[in-house]
Amino acid sequence: MLQETVVETTGLSKRYGNGVVAVDNLQLNVFRGEVYGFLGPNGAGKTTTLRMLLGLIKPTTGSARVAGSAPGSPASLAKIGAIVETPAFYPYLSGYDNLRVLADYCGVPYSRIGPALDQVELTPRAKHKFATYSMGMKQRLGVASALLKEPELLILDEPTNGLDPQGMADMRNLIIQIGQGERTVLISSHLLNEVELMCSRIGVIQKGKLVAEGTIDDLRGAAHLIVRAAPADKARKVLEAVAGSPNVTVEDGAFRLKVDLGRTSQINRQLVEAGVEVTELRTAERSLEEVFMELTGTQGGL
Amino acid sequence: MNLVAAFRGELYKTVKRPAIWVCIGLLLMLAVLLGYALSWYLFTHPPAGATRNQAPGAPTFDQLKVILYPASFVKQTLNQWSTLGGVFALILGVLSQGSEYGWGTVKTLFTQHPSRVSMLVGKVLALALTVLLTVVLLFAVDAGSSYVIALVDGKSTDFPALIDIEKGVAAAWLIFGFWAAFGFGLATLFRQSAMAIGLGLAYAILIEGILLNILASVGGDVVKQIQQWFPIANTGYLAQSFGTAIRAAGQPAVKPLADANHAVTVLLIYVAVFVVGSAILVRQRDVT
Repeated sequence: MLQETVVETTGLSKRYGNGVVAVDNLQLNVFRGEVYGFLGPNGAGKTTTLRMLLGLIKPTTGSARVAGSAPGSPASLAKIGAIVETPAFYPYLSGYDNLRVLADYCGVPYSRIGPALDQVELTPRAKHKFATYSMGMKQRLGVASALLKEPELLILDEPTNGLDPQGMADMRNLIIQIGQGERTVLISSHLLNEVELMCSRIGVIQKGKLVAEGTIDDLRGAAHLIVRAAPADKARKVLEAVAGSPNVTVEDGAFRLKVDLGRTSQINRQLVEAGVEVTELRTAERSLEEVFMELTGTQGGL
Repeated sequence: MNLVAAFRGELYKTVKRPAIWVCIGLLLMLAVLLGYALSWYLFTHPPAGATRNQAPGAPTFDQLKVILYPASFVKQTLNQWSTLGGVFALILGVLSQGSEYGWGTVKTLFTQHPSRVSMLVGKVLALALTVLLTVVLLFAVDAGSSYVIALVDGKSTDFPALIDIEKGVAAAWLIFGFWAAFGFGLATLFRQSAMAIGLGLAYAILIEGILLNILASVGGDVVKQIQQWFPIANTGYLAQSFGTAIRAAGQPAVKPLADANHAVTVLLIYVAVFVVGSAILVRQRDVT
């Protein structure tokens, strides 16, 4: 079945007056119902991209369709809830009143404010001024404001920024919860573990270019089987017979096999029957951090 | 629909914002204290050595008190507050727009679905209403103060005709509206409040006055023509078109360089330029 594209960019680029190319010929596709992680080191162009998708900044070249319309058009924004960087609200208004102002702007009934505050567990502090909120509460109010329109697409830019570990976990769970069903979530982050836990598909951006896109499993590649056995030459013969010689490599004195992991016990039996002593037999897969470092040439976001 | 939605949102923010009420309250307090209470006290109890009565042909303190009575309150309000009150309106205009940049709420607003221009128009309408409220309150406070002073002095408590009061309110609304639009435009241009207030005040207090003095020193009809297009000068022309409350005995009234119709036209042009200019900036510029 053909997946419906909710965000689609074609050759999207942003070049600033000082010659800095923040986003370079970006091709991005986000499908309906997925939680898409937009991953990249600080300064890679994530926020600039999201701002272009929201119409806050205009691309230098290229185009985009967001929720079926041009970025920043009333038709597009009506279907999008967003937090861009730090959630910004009126400090002299309460959380409830801030949402009321936004409800006025969006033309949504005030009856949606209560459930949105409930969903982010902010109801007990709803009448307190925004200026008194902790960072976690500000982020949650940002999510509540994004949910107010009951949007089909949520765009969240670094939603766990500035949160303590508990706050990050709460925010993660909240995003997983609101990303269920038909709603699409596009979330940018430089934190690999949070993307790994929340996202069904990711795109990696580096120096303004999309360097990889796919499911996390796709990007990690297939899991491998690590075998440490002696004598090595006899073990190699057995393993090459089982997996095919192109699929057997040696790393740090151990064999690394590209093989269906369901055959692990069979491989173990064949090694033992051939008189090989197996000292280690385990599966191994690349972590997302390894993939990220490989793609971006950085130390990851952690 | 979008415009109405934006107007409702803006109005709610304005009503709930303490800084707006502090600004309006301060203006009203000054109107009572400086405009009436202090003037009445000094005219009634002139300090020893006061020289006012000694100037030839100058109005006496008793004559000066006429400006504090209800019959003069429209002229008094317009002449006294067209610039000083305008500065408060400038601050209202700056607060309306500059704070959105300061708090970063401009990006929150621009990711809702009314268009940027609808939002700006909604904001301008809310500001216009706030300025009108400020003017009405200022006239009410001045009317009340003049009434109390007339009662205390045993003078006539007759107010000007209602139509004259309405014209005065309308003129003050335009004058304050110009100032508010000026502040709004500066805040949009600089995307902040501090620079907008600083430059706005500098223009109000110094820049136009210096320019007019330089032009006056040159003299001539062309210079007079140029002078007629300066905004603060036109707020003065409009205020003076209601007459000055008192002048030196035997002295003819000083005729302003331009009449009320000219002043209204010039001020409306300035308001339009500031609003349209802001709309173009808001529509075209990136929100970074």
